[in-house]
Amino acid sequence: MNSNTVTVTTLFFSFAADRMNGRRKTFDLPRGTTLGDMVHQYLEPVLGPESRNWLYSVNEEWASWDTHLENGDEIAVIPPVSGG
Amino acid sequence: MDIYRITKEPIDVASALVAIGDDRAGAQALFLGTVRNEFAGRASRGLYYDAYEPLAEKELRRIGDELKQDFGALHVVLIHRIGELPLGEVSVLVAVSAGHRTEAFAAAREGIDRIKSRVPIWKKEHWDDGQDAWHDDPEAFSPK
Repeated sequence: MNSNTVTVTTLFFSFAADRMNGRRKTFDLPRGTTLGDMVHQYLEPVLGPESRNWLYSVNEEWASWDTHLENGDEIAVIPPVSGG
Repeated sequence: MDIYRITKEPIDVASALVAIGDDRAGAQALFLGTVRNEFAGRASRGLYYDAYEPLAEKELRRIGDELKQDFGALHVVLIHRIGELPLGEVSVLVAVSAGHRTEAFAAAREGIDRIKSRVPIWKKEHWDDGQDAWHDDPEAFSPK
């Protein structure tokens, strides 16, 4: 890793974890990558176009597409919830 | 007092009612969600619940704050159990105290509705025929 790269951890739940074959993955991203870029480039190809409509969090708080990802960030992919 | 918790342990209903006790309250409302033996007509033998625990507990606390703001709830307990739950087990508890029954019922109703729509918790159905399916998985629940 160099200063032009950030490493983030991504958590998956429910059927998203099944499709990613795991609950946790790390990604090395170019510095300046936004959450929206990351989802589009790395997750959508596996999780499908519906993943664009899901919610995401960064560092345990809901996050918007334009959030800039920093080294060490923890992203969570939140497919439609079904508690109760 | 208020309690907002994701837990792997059985939910203790009696201690939730103690927590919401208040001399200003004329009403306590309690909702329990339990594991049912079917979904959409298909026989089920139990549920597995998963959660993103830190964000789920934050969201439970936010819902509790809203129930106080919107309905005048005095105390709120919101607990969701995760892990493997057999039929009949309590999966979720909503307990609120309020001055009067109208506010208590409304807050409890809104509490469970907001949990179901917003809190990062997912359930997997263990069908009686041995298959499994996450709820809302478009592949598992799409019409054949």
